[in-house]
Order: sequence, then C-alpha cells, then structure tokens
Amino acid sequence: MRTFTAIAAVVIGAAVHLTAHAQDTIKIGLVNEATGPNAEAGVYTHNGAKLALEEINAAGGVLGKKLELKLEDNQSTNPGTVLAFSKLFGEKGIVATIGPIRSTQVQAASPTIKKAGIPTMIGGTDPSLTKVKNRWLFRGRPSDSYSSKVIADFGVNTLKKQKWAIVHSTDAFGAGGMAALTAALKEHGITPVLVQGYTNNSQDFTPVVLAIKKSGADIIGSYMTNSPDVGIFAKQLRQLGINAEWVGSPSVVTDTAMKLAGPALNGVYGIADFTPDASDESKGYSKKYRETYKQLDPDVYSSWAYDALKILALAINTAKSTDPEAIRKAVVGIKGYKGVEGTYTFDDNGDGLRGYNVVKNDAGKVSFIKHIDFKE
Amino acid sequence: MQILFDNLQVLFQGLALGSIYALVALGFVLIIRATNVVNFAQGDFAMLGAYGMVLFFTTLAWPYWLAFGAALVAMAIFGVLFNYGVYYPLRHRSFLPVLISTLGASIFLQNTVLAVFGPQPKPLEKMLNTDGINIGGIFLDSQYLMILIVTVALVAFTYLFFEHTLLGKKLQATSQDKDMARLLGIPVALMISITFVYSAVLGGVAGVLVGPILFVSIGMGSIIALKAFAATIIGGFGDVTGAIVGGLLLGVIESLAAYHISVPYKDAYAFLALFIFLLFRPQGIFGEKVSEKA
Repeated sequence: MRTFTAIAAVVIGAAVHLTAHAQDTIKIGLVNEATGPNAEAGVYTHNGAKLALEEINAAGGVLGKKLELKLEDNQSTNPGTVLAFSKLFGEKGIVATIGPIRSTQVQAASPTIKKAGIPTMIGGTDPSLTKVKNRWLFRGRPSDSYSSKVIADFGVNTLKKQKWAIVHSTDAFGAGGMAALTAALKEHGITPVLVQGYTNNSQDFTPVVLAIKKSGADIIGSYMTNSPDVGIFAKQLRQLGINAEWVGSPSVVTDTAMKLAGPALNGVYGIADFTPDASDESKGYSKKYRETYKQLDPDVYSSWAYDALKILALAINTAKSTDPEAIRKAVVGIKGYKGVEGTYTFDDNGDGLRGYNVVKNDAGKVSFIKHIDFKE
Repeated sequence: MQILFDNLQVLFQGLALGSIYALVALGFVLIIRATNVVNFAQGDFAMLGAYGMVLFFTTLAWPYWLAFGAALVAMAIFGVLFNYGVYYPLRHRSFLPVLISTLGASIFLQNTVLAVFGPQPKPLEKMLNTDGINIGGIFLDSQYLMILIVTVALVAFTYLFFEHTLLGKKLQATSQDKDMARLLGIPVALMISITFVYSAVLGGVAGVLVGPILFVSIGMGSIIALKAFAATIIGGFGDVTGAIVGGLLLGVIESLAAYHISVPYKDAYAFLALFIFLLFRPQGIFGEKVSEKA
C-alpha cells in the first residue's frame, strides 16, 4: 500500500509537473492606475504586487505553478476601470483579479465583476462596496466604517475634543467617509459643527478654511482623496491661522502629501491601514521594499496590493483549485492571517480587516501612535 | 467686520487664480488670432514651464532667477518646435485637423513628461522667501501677490508690444489678414512662429507662477486650460482684453460663489457663467458680432 502511494505520488507529481509546463502559469489580473492623475499611486501598487509575486513564486508558486501578474491600466478613471476589467475577463485563464484602491472606481466596475463571477480583491474603503450583493468582492483593507470609528474614538477619547468639523471630498470615498464619521461621532453623542464638502482638484480651499474658522471647530476630521488637495488645504489652513487638531483618513499621511505640504502638515494625525513599524510583518515588508525600490518608502498603495496578492495565492492554494466558487470559499474562510496591514479574518461580506493604526506626522516623519481594533 | 475681511480674502484668492486663467487665456487668444485654431495643448504649456522649473531649480539647483530664465528660454524654443511640429505641416488644412493635431500634442506632452519625471506631483519653491503677509486678518500669500504683479506686468508688456512696436504691428497685421500681410512684405510664417513662441512663454510663466500653489503635476495644465478656455469665451472669443477680463472675472465668480453659496459646486459656477454668456451674449464681453467681422 505504501509503495502504491509513493508511486501514485510520483505519477501525480510528474503529471502536475507536466501540466505546469503545458499551462505554464496561473494568471491574476491587476487593474491599476498606471496613467492619469493617480499614476503616482499606481507605481506603488505595482511595486507592492511585484514584491508579493516574487515571494510567492520563490516559495513554489500556487498549485505547483508559477503565478503571473497581468497588468491592465485603468487610466485613473471609472470608465477606464470598467474597460480594464472587461479586457481581463475576456482573456483566457484569469482566475482572480486585484481591483482599484479607489471606491468610485470599484463602484463603477462592480456590476462587471459580478457578471464575470471572478474573485476580486478591492482596496476601496467605502463601506457599502461589500454590501451590494456582489459576492465576488473581497476587501484587502479595513472599510471606512472602521476608519471613521477610529478617527472619532481617537479624537474624542484621546485628544478630548468635542467641536468637530468634517472636511470631505464629494466623490464616493469622501461622501461615504463623511457619512460614516458623522455616524461614528453620533455614538459619542456629538453632532459636528460643520460638514464641508469640496470637489477633487479644487485649486483653492479658502472658502473651506473660512467656514471652519467661522464654525469655531477645535478638531478637523477629514476624508480627502488626492494628495495635492491635502497639500493645498493644509497650507491655506495654517496660513489663515487655524491651529485646530486634525485627524484625517490615510491620505494626510501619505509620502506624497507630506512632501507637498511640508511643515503645514506637521502635528497632523492620520489613520493608516499600513504603518512601517506597527508589527513584525510590516517591519519585514518595509525593509524589503526599501531594499528593492531604493528611493521609495513603502505606503498603503503598495502594502495593500502586497497583501491582496498574498491572500489570493493563499486562497487558491487552500482551495486546491482555481474554480471561482472554491476560491471564494477559501477567502472567506481565512481566519487570523497575519498580513502587513494587520490580521485578516474574513466575514461573509468579504471584509477582512477591522482596525487602523493612528499615526502622527512628526516634522515629516510618520510615527506610530496606537492601533485601534474593533470586534465587528 | 470679520465678514468684510473674509470677503476680501476670498476676493484676493479669486483674483490671483483668475490671473493664471487670464495668462493662459491670453496664450489661447494670441494663437486663435494668428492661426484661427484653438490650441488644446495650451494648458500643457503651463505644465511644461513648471516642469522646466523643477528641472532647472529643484533638480539642477540653479539659482531661482537663472532657472526661471532658463525655463522661459526652453519654452521659447519649445514654441518654435510646436509650431513646426504641430501647426505648420497642417497650415493649409481646415480647422479640424489642426485642432486634432494640438489635442494629440497635448496627450503626447503629458505622457512624455510622465515618462521623464514620473507620476508624483512635485512641490516647487515660491518666488519670494517669505510665506506672505498678514494685514488685519487677511493673509496675502507671497506667491499669490507675485502672480498678480507678474500678470499686470505681462499684460502691460503685451499691450505695449502689440500697439507700439513694429514687430507687434506686423503680428497684428498677420492675425487680421494673412494675404494682405504677405502682400505688404510681412514674413507671415515667421510671424506665426513668433506668436507660438510668445504664447508658449506666457504659458510657461503661468506654470512657474502657479506651481508652488497647485503643485507641479502632469494634469495641472488641463485643469487651468479648461477654465482659461471658458474665460476666452466669456471675454470674447479671440479678444485680447476679453481674455484678461474673462480670466479675472471667472476666478472671482467661482471664489465668491464657492464662499457664499456652496463649495462643492465651485467648478459649476464657472461653467454656469459660461453657459449664461453663451445664451445671452455669445460673442462675449468684448467680442464683436460675427456679422460685423465678415
């Protein structure tokens, strides 16, 4: 019997080996912002995914085959995202995809993904994205319902501030974040003194700053999408003499925003799903990222894609199949996987993370303050 | 009292941004008059100027004014290349091929810059070393002040140049009637080339001025150009004074409306103004009626 098993193992092994040569690779698509206004983030995302790809393949790939990343540019736009997904799904042998980090783009492509029935990791943090009866979306980042809870908790309990002004972009991400933060503040019994929206690529934030001044807010909670907007707002805020505390969504502590705004962002708190020194995993990842991409620092755009690809590879290996249903079952079955962004435990909606790090901009350097996690 | 200060603050910002629209709109108009074509790459001239500054000042660390001069010389050379690469080969064709040619140039320029400088937006130093001055609660950013001063200077220079120099008059003659100008012995092709150079330099100045505020990014030109184009229509299509007044007006309208009515609709006010003009005064503030022109 034992001999038989051994022979069977060898035969199967050889068969697998042969198929591996015949079919070469298992392909995962990456819809990424390679061009357009967000192309800067696209570089980081690609870097993160490449790092994960190398590690996965160095560790033997998936199902005994090499994993291959198939890139598709979405031009940083919603129509571009839909097109990119359609193109990937039209291709043979794409078993899973990694989608955009922007909620608005995910929202646009969601019906296409649902129709194709291909497991897709998303980075958009609008809470509603995983609640639209699309069972193929899995979020590789904590949703804004947690980010807003963390912002509110930190501002109210740690900084002891009560008079809140919310500044948000009017896109899907910003509007979703604003609604979630308003709800989270309500749980602390607080109604914001000001809720102020603006459109992306606003060239002048003076009216926003003056509204904050008039409201007398002593803390600002922000959901801003683009780094240049953060930079312009930060400079004008400080120029017009507002020294209120500021706790923002991850965009306020990105490398680019801090470079653009300079000292204007000093002392600002941000929440981040990724912080280089939050855990052993993130420390190891950061070291490797800096060694590989000399001049760049690791940030959320890269770390989420790194985790997303690792999770998909893990799921395919666990499922022992590339069947979409099997992959889905394996993803939602992941419990306690330690990624670089935190510990992933997926629920049936496809949400894996439930907490954020709070970090502070200390004169251009991000320092880790604390990690706040929620049970559900 | 505070309300008055706040309004003045908003007005100041609006005038400064309006100046940038005006400079780019002026570049638009000069080319429209010389060639009868809307140059869709006009915004990218500003983007290129700003990146020139990034190259000479930030990367090569030249002194500010030397870098500024170098960026403008580079823009002037670029203006010649643009003329001979994008407009000149199609000069005998109709409006549309040239228009598409400039559109193609815009996409080409943006992606070339993307390939060379990478996608990260870049900060740029202000012209003056000071952040700004505070007058009774109104903060005047030094860069915004410089924008206003440089715009006034450039507009004055443009006026003197076109009205009081022989070259300026030759340029005007060319834009009014090319055949007549040719008969009078004016080298029309050279005049058009000079127009492109001047327009590219104006765009470059706008880019260097606005870079420290909006930051230097590949898309920076598109945002400005759209408003500048609206400004040329509001001011009067192809009218020099109109471009300047239209630009300033647009900047002030959107800032005041954003402050008094609602911020998220800021861009909408600019285009609402455009819409109202198209509806009630399609020739713009200073524009002549088409029938008069014929």
